[in-house]
Amino acid sequence: MMTALLILHGLLAVALLGAVTHQALAASAPRNEPRTRSFFTRFRKTDAGAYGTPVAILFVLVMIAGAILYPRYRLVVRPLLQTLDLRAANGAFELKEHFSALGLLLLPAYWSCWKQPLEPAYDGARLWLTWIIALTVWWNFVVGQLLVSIKGLGV
Amino acid sequence: MLFSLAACAIYTLAYYFDWSLFRYYLGTGTFGLSAPASAGAPILWYGWLATAVLGGAVVAGITPRSWTTRLSPELAWLIPAVAMLAAFMYELRWFL
Repeated sequence: MMTALLILHGLLAVALLGAVTHQALAASAPRNEPRTRSFFTRFRKTDAGAYGTPVAILFVLVMIAGAILYPRYRLVVRPLLQTLDLRAANGAFELKEHFSALGLLLLPAYWSCWKQPLEPAYDGARLWLTWIIALTVWWNFVVGQLLVSIKGLGV
Repeated sequence: MLFSLAACAIYTLAYYFDWSLFRYYLGTGTFGLSAPASAGAPILWYGWLATAVLGGAVVAGITPRSWTTRLSPELAWLIPAVAMLAAFMYELRWFL
């Protein structure tokens, strides 16, 4: 059951990572960027505004799955990290914990910034909040994968 | 907007000063304010998050609307960015 939830947590995180990365790069693109055939330009040409609600929903779903898995992490994975004296891995997870919480608490501000019609006064806040959420998601994803690599799927 | 800013600041204070609204005990698998030693190690994170949500809701609820409209939009990302940096500084001890 917990292994299935861990896999679901990972899959939802992949979807979130893709959506928020797309949005952050699209929001950073200059408005009059010329159309070229490069992959990167086309990647950024997406409608950033369309990602606000899906990113918020995916973030909440990933958080719920993570919050359910957390006691198992404390019982099974953390003692292993302590036994192996993997302090950096332990610290990386502590940061993942804080970043997840701060990201969740940020969601109402993030979501209201992306609410249509977009307020020009919030252009800067919208861009920076999106990047903060994106960096949070990237950190949490990489640390999560790292810990699964250390412990394995048998949680 | 104000909820997020207040909640981020309160979350930072909550883990720093250990303002946990409740705890989750690993040994018994129950939530509570306190428990015997046999209940095992507590998880504070859920309680910190609850403290932040409650605090943020109270701040957003009691602050007059005329005040919130005067807040600079830049605060919307500056306060969370400072909160992230504070978390990084707080956990730096693991990496040294």
